[in-house]
Amino acid sequence: MTTMATRIQMPYTLTPGEATGVFLAELGRRRLIGSRHGDRILVPAQDFDGSTGEPAEGFVELAPAGRLEAFTVTAQGVLGLVLVDGADVPFLHRIVGFAEADLTIGARVAAVWADEPTGSVLDLAGFGPAGDGPGFKPRIAPDGLAQPFEQVEYTMTLDYQHSYGHYYGTLFDAVRTDRRLRGVKCSQCRRTLLPPRARCDVCFAPTAEWVDVEAVGVVQACSVVHIEFIGQRLKPPYVYAELVLDGTSTRLIHMVGGIDPAEARTAVAPGSRVRAVWSDRRTGSLADIDYFELIPGEPS
Amino acid sequence: MSIAIVGTGQTAHARRRTDVSQAGLAREAVVEALQDAGLTMDDIDSVVVASGPAMFGAVNQPEKWLVDALGARFKPVVRVTSGGGTGLAGALAAVNQIKGGAARRVLVVAYDKLSEGALQASISTLYDPFWGREFAVGIMGFSAAYWRARMDRLGHTQEAAAMVAVKNRRHALANPKAHVRKEVTVEEVLASRPLCWPIKVLDVPPISDGACAVILAADEDALAITDTPAWINGMAYYSEADNGADRSMLQSEPLQIAAARVYRDAGITNPFRQFDVAELQEPYTCFELSYYEGLGLCPAGGAADLVASGETAMGGSLPVNPSGGCMGANPIGATALIRLAEAAMQVTGKAGRHQVPGASLALVQAGGGWANLRGVAVVSSEKR
Repeated sequence: MTTMATRIQMPYTLTPGEATGVFLAELGRRRLIGSRHGDRILVPAQDFDGSTGEPAEGFVELAPAGRLEAFTVTAQGVLGLVLVDGADVPFLHRIVGFAEADLTIGARVAAVWADEPTGSVLDLAGFGPAGDGPGFKPRIAPDGLAQPFEQVEYTMTLDYQHSYGHYYGTLFDAVRTDRRLRGVKCSQCRRTLLPPRARCDVCFAPTAEWVDVEAVGVVQACSVVHIEFIGQRLKPPYVYAELVLDGTSTRLIHMVGGIDPAEARTAVAPGSRVRAVWSDRRTGSLADIDYFELIPGEPS
Repeated sequence: MSIAIVGTGQTAHARRRTDVSQAGLAREAVVEALQDAGLTMDDIDSVVVASGPAMFGAVNQPEKWLVDALGARFKPVVRVTSGGGTGLAGALAAVNQIKGGAARRVLVVAYDKLSEGALQASISTLYDPFWGREFAVGIMGFSAAYWRARMDRLGHTQEAAAMVAVKNRRHALANPKAHVRKEVTVEEVLASRPLCWPIKVLDVPPISDGACAVILAADEDALAITDTPAWINGMAYYSEADNGADRSMLQSEPLQIAAARVYRDAGITNPFRQFDVAELQEPYTCFELSYYEGLGLCPAGGAADLVASGETAMGGSLPVNPSGGCMGANPIGATALIRLAEAAMQVTGKAGRHQVPGASLALVQAGGGWANLRGVAVVSSEKR
């Protein structure tokens, strides 16, 4: 095994702040709102002027048209910097509807609105080709402004391929194929370290020899998990445990299962003896151990 | 060279601030700190931004976003992050910038807007993806487990921890910046819903949106800004190997090392008697008990008796967390800087309704990670 695939997926409710909140809300009304900072106008509207750090003095509506200042063609489409008429700073957004031959710096563009607003920046679908039609100078928005969006739903999904490297690779190959845990001995202090690693954290000496570690040990610390969360492997209540396997000097984080939930607080304690219950899965990870169970007849 | 805190500011902390962006939140604290110091951004040579894991707010490298909101354009700006100790680590970076001669007046701004993300799931990503992450319960499973171990070995009972919750929540009533201001009883804490037993709902701080800012300057620069500088007589931040061999976790060794170093620098030989006030970062009640011992305020195994004595409550000989500590508000990236700012407010007589009368020497503790990153500071009205 060379890499382990993992996915981190996180839900968010982001707060855009007043200016961006108004800008987003007004896109649904097909209006471009900028912020006024002295004689400068920024679009999308900003709460604070990057030149001075001072708050915006007010909001203005800009004509939804401008000039293409720069662009790049990507596999997912064209991105461009558009200087909206009356604004002082260009705006990065999608450029749509251009034949590649017509894409030129200085091209006139106009807003292309989404058919159905969804409450995102893509309510402005992009900027497309436009003529020199009549516009208007930045103005106080007629009919007042929409209430700012206070929260925006967002999900971040991140996929990783973590390299096992020599030490984790050797350990988890053995876990998957032989149901065997393998640690390394420090060449100086002779402690057995699990997970295995190139150097001892205490001596900084190189580790030398591989040793087999029995999946039997003692609970160093434990708590009873009652909260539920995404990706949980056992139904609460169950016991979170930091274990020290016999002969090793470092912690293994896992769970103690197979106990009556009503007795979880007292059944397992620091010092309890436990052993691994192997799963039918062969993933090459600590999840190949379903949980640890108390050893009958031994201290608990 | 002696370095002082010459201005502090905090937002009104809240469960969810929907009226400002992350950058706007940080700015609020900065505006207040500049006002407190009587300075403008033109007077600031360098900015340290301190915030928690980027995953909390879904914005990577957020300091670039703060430049606009702070008016920090063309100034040195760096970001420091270190879990719950982030704010103190940021302050230490500022101290070192001044000591090194790189800047004279440094602004530290620390914040987190925890309402925006999934907190415990984000914290679980701090674990090694191969070793522990799949069974982690944020930091709560770990924290509860070692509290359970300290119960057996050090007598840190659920009742003693409940007294911490009662004390700090009562203290928070007098702090206008705290967002949780509600008294609880020991019985209510003990009967509250278990999350990771022995940690129960009322052992846990709120999840907060908030920011704190502190301005630092040395010697004559400090005295030119204010008549009441809060001198930092010692500050240190130490680590332990995450997976170091034979860690019992019953005491935090880096905390003990940091305390010894800072006490030596500040001339502290009997911390319980010498300090007038302490601000300790207690993300769960059990940690305040552990820190009493790690900081030498009582012997190992003496924490339960200390909290029961009432000496660490307002009116006692060493009030701990007159601000309410994390129980009043816990915007993680800002939490440690809030502890430092509160200590400065105490020794300069600016703490208002939660002022410890006559306080002149304050202890600060904060840390990140699983007992493996720990910092200590001593703040005084007297220059050493």
